[in-house]
Amino acid sequence: MTYENVKKEPFVRIAKRPEVSKRNAMLIRFSSVLVALLLGGLILLVLGYNPLAVYGDIVKGSLLSSTALKSTVKIAVPLLGASLAIAPAFKMKFWNCGAEGQITVGAIVSTFFALKLVGDLPRPVFFIVTFVVSAIFGGLWGLIPAFFKARWGTNETLFTLMLNYIAIGFVKYLRIGPWMDKGQMFPKVPMFDKAARLPDVLGVHLGWIIVLALVIFIYIYMTRTKHGYEIAVVGESVSTARYSGMNVPKIIMRTMFLSGAIAGIVGWMLVCGTNYTLSDSTANGYGFTAIVVAWLSKLNPFVMVIISAFLAILQKGSNTIQTNFGIPASASEVLTGLILLCMLGSEFFINYRFVFRKKTVGGDD
Amino acid sequence: MKKLLALILALVMVLSFAACGETPEEPENPETPSEGEELTAENIKIGFIHVSDPSDMGYTYNHDLGTWKMAENLGISEDQIINKYNIGEDEGCATAIEELVEAGCDIIFATSFGHGDYMTEAAANHPEIEFCHATGAQAAGSGLSNYHNYFTSIYEARYLAGVAAGLKLNEMIENGTITADEAVIGYVAAFYFEEVISGFSAFYLGARSVCPSATMITLKADSWSDPVKEGQIAQSLIDQGAVIISQHSDNPSPATTAEAAGLFHCGYNSDMAEAAPKASIISARADWSIYLTYAVECVLNGEEIATDWCKGFSEGANFVSPLNTAVAAPGTQEKLDEIAAGLVDGSVHVFAGPWTGVHVWTGEAFECAEGEWVDESKDQSAPYFGYILEGITRLDA
Repeated sequence: MTYENVKKEPFVRIAKRPEVSKRNAMLIRFSSVLVALLLGGLILLVLGYNPLAVYGDIVKGSLLSSTALKSTVKIAVPLLGASLAIAPAFKMKFWNCGAEGQITVGAIVSTFFALKLVGDLPRPVFFIVTFVVSAIFGGLWGLIPAFFKARWGTNETLFTLMLNYIAIGFVKYLRIGPWMDKGQMFPKVPMFDKAARLPDVLGVHLGWIIVLALVIFIYIYMTRTKHGYEIAVVGESVSTARYSGMNVPKIIMRTMFLSGAIAGIVGWMLVCGTNYTLSDSTANGYGFTAIVVAWLSKLNPFVMVIISAFLAILQKGSNTIQTNFGIPASASEVLTGLILLCMLGSEFFINYRFVFRKKTVGGDD
Repeated sequence: MKKLLALILALVMVLSFAACGETPEEPENPETPSEGEELTAENIKIGFIHVSDPSDMGYTYNHDLGTWKMAENLGISEDQIINKYNIGEDEGCATAIEELVEAGCDIIFATSFGHGDYMTEAAANHPEIEFCHATGAQAAGSGLSNYHNYFTSIYEARYLAGVAAGLKLNEMIENGTITADEAVIGYVAAFYFEEVISGFSAFYLGARSVCPSATMITLKADSWSDPVKEGQIAQSLIDQGAVIISQHSDNPSPATTAEAAGLFHCGYNSDMAEAAPKASIISARADWSIYLTYAVECVLNGEEIATDWCKGFSEGANFVSPLNTAVAAPGTQEKLDEIAAGLVDGSVHVFAGPWTGVHVWTGEAFECAEGEWVDESKDQSAPYFGYILEGITRLDA
């Protein structure tokens, strides 16, 4: 027997799983979180901390005091909003990596109103106007890459990503230039007047009500409307959509306008409800983390609520452990990164499995 | 279906904005100062808001050293001190302050300029707690008796470090390593505003007092603490001709960058010769324990804390690290001792003429004649010297 002709079976290969029951899928997801916690615990042990105490403090520092809980909700709300924003685009397989920029644009226009016009309008009118305007401008910012994609087939991932840096660069210009806080002579935008700050409902700015309403809106929009159906068809196959007479460019642009508009509303919420000022980091990575949320929730708006809350707990909790244990910021980022990696990785194991080479009896390889 | 959607949305909007119509003022925090129980060194709680963590080996590291020295001075135990590290100059700062309040802190310190806005709001909301903000300038104008600013006249220590840099430049010129025109100092600036400008001007004037041909180029990082960017900026300055690097940023990466290039460096906050023993000559440092001890003692004794506190070299609130004699030019220590004595007895003024400069905000030109000087940090603890001197070029301004 010549070795040249026999192709050796690899030691391990990856095979698609035929069909996974819901129960098994949940089991895999659950165990992935466990694995993540174990791995994270190992890192903490190596660093010389007690993992149980650290995990306990993540929960305590994010949920178990009213200040902590409020600030966790304040992280979850824009994250959920951003996830809802990108959901329709992702359903259409239009990879909107530009929520960060669309949020920023919404924040910029809201800030413009808050700095220049706040005294001139009655408070409810001020909030309605800024709400609408930030949605429009966020939507227009989202429309730019959609137009180019629809017209010339440009790559939307790069396009939306690059637009982020333009929006954030513009904030930098405003912060150092025309909107600099003249009172302080420090390159930062002044704090908003009290009248330009969103009122609290149950301790957190009322953005949370709007975001919860958006959950229902997006769910209905995606599953119960003609628009939602068109989005799904374009996402599955542009050719099918075209053959069935759908106006694909129009659908792409309309959906991205909606996506950007919701992101713009998130920006409005962030400056008027949370930060009370505009900075380079107003969007704070929500637009990117939203992509993780969207994937983990498989674009289901209700699941997004849970995932956003979970990530918010992780983020707030990791701030707390930095304080309580003096764990360096980078180490607690590694911890959260690990948990996310395992959770995303579990999707792989739901769809695929490893097949190991079987022992051949009497084989001499 | 569309109508239903519109209806839901409209309903939510109306409900949401109905809330705006209610009393806009938030209810006062119901907390009252715990009466009856007297504050002692055993039960006082102290909170800190830091912009990075002590692993920066720079600003936060140095401020943290002050914290523990203060605790030792006053017999305060570790569990009475709550440190919030890595608190950005954003909404996270407001949350961190609230958590310190919730934890029962009697006095709260924040160390970075951008924490100021949040400290101002917290001080107004919690009149029973003392708030002390380093490098800021909002306390006096706020009219709040529980809000205070502090800083040290670090420009004095920077002037001394500048002298050491100038002597090194002289040595390089004498050795023929560089010509007199090539005596360029590169300065890694966090931002361009008074605190930083005051610092690099003092450093430059120190260097020029011994090396008249010295010039300075600067680039800004747009961040107090960004180790990678600070190093890149240092490299960029070196590429543009700088032979000595100094910095107003929190990390020692400019020092290690200078070392890698075979050049020299003067540090800030920590003794950066530890990170770059072949490059870092001397570092300007603050001893924060002096203020922290003073402020906490005031709270314990029920005394008022000064609205603006600024102490200097003669009180030990700032100092220079031990001279790295392996790198410094010969004779540097003697010269530094002489000038240090002058700073203490008042015969040496850092911002003494002759110099000309243009104000960074107003663009107004100013000439300081020989024998005259400009005062710094006299009425307000935060630095306010804002002239860009002739001889200093901001490459990115």
